[in-house]
Amino acid sequence: MRERRATTGFKVAGIATGKSNGAKSSRKEPIKATNPKQTVTKSKKRAAPAQEEVEDDLEDFGNVEIDINSDEEDEEIDENDAEESDNEVEEFPEDQSEGEDVAADENEDEDEEEEEDDDYMAGDSLDEEDWNEEVKISNDSQRPTKLPEIEADYDSDSSTEDVENTVGNVPMEWYDDFPHIGYDIDGKRVLRPAKGDELEKFLSTMDDPDSWRSVAVDKEGKDMVLNDEELDIIRRIQGGDIPDADYNPYEPTVEWFSSKKEVMPLSAAPEPKRRFIPSKWEAKKVMKIVRAIRTGRIVPRKPATEKPRFYNLWGDEDEPREDHIMHIPAPKMKLPEHDESYNPPEEYLPSEQEIQAWKDLDPEDRPKNYLPTKYNSLRQVPAYGRFIQERFERCLDLYLAPRVRKNRLNIDPDSLIPKLPSPKDLQPFPTQQSISYEGHTGRIRCFSLDPIGLYMISGSDDQTVRLWEIATGRCLNTWTFDGVIQSIAWNPNRDLCMFAVSVGHGNVTLITPPRIGSPEQISLTDEYIQQGYAAMSTAASDDKEARNPIPWIKPNVSDQEKLGYRVHLSHTQAVKQITWHRKGDYFATVAPDAKNLAVLIHQITKYQTQAPFRKLKGLVQRVMFHPTKPLFFVATQLYVRVYNLMKQELIKTLQSGVKWISSLDVHPGGDNVIVGSYDKRLCWFDLDLSARPYKTLRYHSQAIRQVTFHRRYPLFASASDDGSIQIFHGMVYNDLLQNPLIVPVKILRGHSVVNSLGVLDIEFHPTQPWIVSSGADHSLRLWT
Amino acid sequence: MAKIQKKGKKGAAANFVTRNQALKKLQISLADFRRLCILKGIYPREPRNKKKANKGSTAPVTFYYHKDIQYLLHEPVLHKFREYKAFAKKLAKVMAKGQYSTAKSLEEHNKPVYSLDHIVKERYPTFVDAVRDLDDALSMLFLFATMPVTDKISREVVEDCQRLTAEFQIYVMKSRSLRKVFFSIKGIYYQAEIKGQTVTWLVPYQFAQTVPTDVDFRVMLTFLEFYRTLVGFINFRLFSEINLIYPPTLDLIKYEGAAGFNALILEAMHKTAPDAESKFDTEMVEAEKEESPEDVARKAASKERLKTLGNKVAELQGSTDTDRIDEDVQDEAEETALDEFKATAPTVAAVDGDDNMVTLSQIQAASTEIQELQNLFSRSVIFLSRETPRYALEFIIRSFGGQVSWDETVGTGAPFLENDEKITHQVCDRPTQGHRFLNRTYIQPQWVADSINSRKLVISDNYAPGRMLPPHLSPFVEAKEGDYVPSTGLEEEDETFEGETEDINPDDIEEQDDEEVDSADEEDEEEEEEAKAAVAPKKVVKEDHETELQAEAAGVAFTEYAEKKPAKKAPKAAAGKKRTAKEIEEEEAKELASIMMSNKQKKLYTKIKYSQNKKSEEVDPLQAAKLEQKKQNIAKAKTNANKRSKK
Repeated sequence: MRERRATTGFKVAGIATGKSNGAKSSRKEPIKATNPKQTVTKSKKRAAPAQEEVEDDLEDFGNVEIDINSDEEDEEIDENDAEESDNEVEEFPEDQSEGEDVAADENEDEDEEEEEDDDYMAGDSLDEEDWNEEVKISNDSQRPTKLPEIEADYDSDSSTEDVENTVGNVPMEWYDDFPHIGYDIDGKRVLRPAKGDELEKFLSTMDDPDSWRSVAVDKEGKDMVLNDEELDIIRRIQGGDIPDADYNPYEPTVEWFSSKKEVMPLSAAPEPKRRFIPSKWEAKKVMKIVRAIRTGRIVPRKPATEKPRFYNLWGDEDEPREDHIMHIPAPKMKLPEHDESYNPPEEYLPSEQEIQAWKDLDPEDRPKNYLPTKYNSLRQVPAYGRFIQERFERCLDLYLAPRVRKNRLNIDPDSLIPKLPSPKDLQPFPTQQSISYEGHTGRIRCFSLDPIGLYMISGSDDQTVRLWEIATGRCLNTWTFDGVIQSIAWNPNRDLCMFAVSVGHGNVTLITPPRIGSPEQISLTDEYIQQGYAAMSTAASDDKEARNPIPWIKPNVSDQEKLGYRVHLSHTQAVKQITWHRKGDYFATVAPDAKNLAVLIHQITKYQTQAPFRKLKGLVQRVMFHPTKPLFFVATQLYVRVYNLMKQELIKTLQSGVKWISSLDVHPGGDNVIVGSYDKRLCWFDLDLSARPYKTLRYHSQAIRQVTFHRRYPLFASASDDGSIQIFHGMVYNDLLQNPLIVPVKILRGHSVVNSLGVLDIEFHPTQPWIVSSGADHSLRLWT
Repeated sequence: MAKIQKKGKKGAAANFVTRNQALKKLQISLADFRRLCILKGIYPREPRNKKKANKGSTAPVTFYYHKDIQYLLHEPVLHKFREYKAFAKKLAKVMAKGQYSTAKSLEEHNKPVYSLDHIVKERYPTFVDAVRDLDDALSMLFLFATMPVTDKISREVVEDCQRLTAEFQIYVMKSRSLRKVFFSIKGIYYQAEIKGQTVTWLVPYQFAQTVPTDVDFRVMLTFLEFYRTLVGFINFRLFSEINLIYPPTLDLIKYEGAAGFNALILEAMHKTAPDAESKFDTEMVEAEKEESPEDVARKAASKERLKTLGNKVAELQGSTDTDRIDEDVQDEAEETALDEFKATAPTVAAVDGDDNMVTLSQIQAASTEIQELQNLFSRSVIFLSRETPRYALEFIIRSFGGQVSWDETVGTGAPFLENDEKITHQVCDRPTQGHRFLNRTYIQPQWVADSINSRKLVISDNYAPGRMLPPHLSPFVEAKEGDYVPSTGLEEEDETFEGETEDINPDDIEEQDDEEVDSADEEDEEEEEEAKAAVAPKKVVKEDHETELQAEAAGVAFTEYAEKKPAKKAPKAAAGKKRTAKEIEEEEAKELASIMMSNKQKKLYTKIKYSQNKKSEEVDPLQAAKLEQKKQNIAKAKTNANKRSKK
């Protein structure tokens, strides 16, 4: 609390007080800080009597202090006060005679202000008991301690000097005609001291050793002796120095106000006046409250009206509000099942092992947090030990568990399966195995059916080629080679009887199997071959031997007759595929490793070999002649390119989207292509539609080895390393607007998987809805 | 060109905030935030894509919905929390200065108090919404009503819980809205139907709860704070709907005498006109109030209240005197109402046509069924022995219109004594009784629950004291196709109904036992086969059972029946084989067709199939257990039969 010394004022409380006493005391007391409020009010009063209202407030407040000199003031205030009821007086202590009490009073006032402040802010109001209590507290804490008096000097000598002559600062010649030179403090004349004549002056100067330092003073009328200090000053002034001897003009400067921030501010500014005045506005505020309390507008300590704790919260007109779209209501508690019963059916009781298993689990992992137990009567059921914990867990779940709305699909899974025509309606197609062709002892990589569909040749890793009669399964002939049979293909021309076989590291041999063909066929085949020889010999004579990239070699006569060999072509690299043109004159070979000679087209009638591509992009996997047009399909790892052989240009690039194409077949109509891949996919391209697959199917669990179309029936099939053959019904319509219909009709299983190789080759029968397959399990099967 | 969307302005990034962000925004402590979340019912969310919601980070964080947090910013309770914080500081300051009187006045006048009324209204805009979410609230209140008073759980809280639960129970009893009861190992589950909503709650058995140390009671108490408010408002509404004044006054004498919810004195509202609807309520109230004049003399504290009550009773006691008459009147009224309904139904149907007749009769059936259930015990007067759980049973029985009394040692206010003539049933839980009254049935408590769950008074012989009780099944399980349905005591009951003479003569049954056991054996084997072959064999078994019973009723010998049966079965078995071939074909067709599915569809298909398989796996073990159990039973029966034959 602020220290305040207020002895000059007293309370105005309706009773007049002795003014003279107060006045005297005020005179004698050294005034350090009078309560300035009085002066303020006084001046205001005098200036504007209209402001009496303000005064009213203040006097009510009771700490208005008035200077003794303003008599009228007192009266005025008295009058004002008299208007108020007398009772109020009691509230404010009247003891003004003793300074201490007044001080206490004032302290109390201030306390009250603060108190009221607090209370008012809190929405409460004053209480008399509280009031008194506060007063007491302030009395105790505010016991005045004697402090030393403060001298109000400002280093000026003049104030302390004892001045006899009081005329002040007037020209002394005014007194020249008078016997006195002024007046003393009591108003009596100060007589001019007697002045001697010049002689006396002289004598005195002679006698007095201090005469040289004496100066005449007009006011005193006598001489004054200058002391050493004064002389020194005179000397300094004469010498042009600074009169003060102690003054050092070259003192080091002290940076009081620097950029450095001090912890304690070094301001010696005197405390401002406002610190010692009670706030007028606060007083106003408080008085407002006090008046409100008096008139009863504010009831202090009013007990809060008891509102009923519960009432009708929901009106009848409440409309159900739709839940916010993001609101996820908490799931309800799980309802108990039979096994939670105190007396469950016997079959719900866990066995010993189940109990042990339950106990061994972590509590979080247990599917149910209780063990079904049976009690014979309700009386025996004990308290459930984890009741509180479970409720607590539920609480935690309610406010800590993240909620997410899970859309439970309520779909019948069977509805997802597309509705397809029944396979029964799409017959015929091969459904079961009918013949197995036994004889090979190695995996059968390739086989080929003759264009009529009577015979079949197969090539195996046991280095033999076998000729089979399809209908009976009889082996008609066997050729043994000195290498693995890579590929084999029967000439599709029905008038010829010839097949090409690729053996080992690039040897391709054309063979006419003995004792099979009709005489016409044999003669025509011979003719073909002879034409070739003739052409070759003319070419050789034309010195254009270099034209053929690979040599055509005539086999020796014994082989020709015995085994039916016609021509050998020796490639530089292993030939993986041989494919015939439909007319049977041309055939193409693929030797993927042979770089620019990877794809070669051979013509039998001319014994001529061409490399149609100067440079090949990518590793060639398969090639295929178009069934009707002079088009040539080349399948590399990722793309299938379609070239026109006549115009020698690229027509189209089919983008398969698969990683590694393994097989390729062209629909007999010529507008659709299927591609099988090592990454288990089968792509159906509609050449008229797009360069991208019309349909990509993935159903095999292993790589697809071979895909093939049936030449007559709307069937196609794929063979895979998972040992299965998938037969499809693939109908292509003449109407360009209608998409091809693809319906899976049959899965043929029978081949076993050896060294993760299953079915290696398949081919449809040229006329019947049959399919022949060869596998890594050394078997060759006919499915009808 | 469309405006370029800035990152983080839309979608998950804008919709979700992490918990820390929320705290920063609200400027409150975690503890306050959690309290607020509990009170406001705000919960964390799981965004579909966490990465998008958390600025590309996949660190595990809790997300809240952004708008939830924004709504919290304007929450009055949040401001009160802040005010309280300031108040606590002030108080601490004053206390440190030793100004105790100031502290006291601060505490008295300046303490911020918050109410949760607006939150209740906000979370449950309609009354029905509130009732729907009553499950957790009731379970919590019933738990805390039995909690011991500790330093964390204050006496007021426990007493408030006791009171609120008692009030709720009174409503359930008065409105007879209880539907299902289940005695589990955890406690007693009740299910009531209030305003068309099913409300299920769990009440622990009457034991002193041991307060665990690993439970944070601050969380529980915050929940409880909200639930108390919620249930209070709901009770108010429920009471006003049955024309009772809320809150009911507490009769201290009865309360101290462990009268339970009987200690609450119910008063009807003045303004209600004595129309047909309110008659029921006033009568019920009257029955409640009849003991009150005696209390007036006893206790001075509740004197004034009771005086007025006495007047009211005098007013109301114009027509009837005893409970009996009341109820008779009530029953009559109900019957007449039903009759009228029946009379009107056909005429309406005749006018409207056949379709409407079906629906009307359905409605009628449903309503009569409910009414019958509500008056299940209306003709029984039940006395509870002192070893039975009195509060629970009293609540259950009175909820179904029964009259209950109990031993004086269990609590005051028993309406009649044990030797009263009108008692029809006595519930007891001891194997032997000292004195048995001949004109009443002695039953175990499970009879009450089983009767309610089967919606009829079950045969009490199975529930006689000391007898092995039939299994008590959960009424909440709804058996779906393929689920295992355990056998209840009810099936056997039907049999006993049909041939009661057999039941009286146990020897007769045992004579037949040998045959039955053999045939049962065969049946079981058949069943096993079927179980293996088909997914839902239960129906078949049931059908068999029915036909068997029919045959029995027709007087066909069992052996004959058994001979007939395989003949019937043979074609079935053949059909089964064929079907398997067909199934294989179908499966193959499916496999083929699935080739043509798109990738997306294929994934979905495999997912659904996987979950279906998992579900069926879950069901299977029980099925096996059941079969095993049956086998054991048969083995037991066989040994028993052997013993008998040896004798």
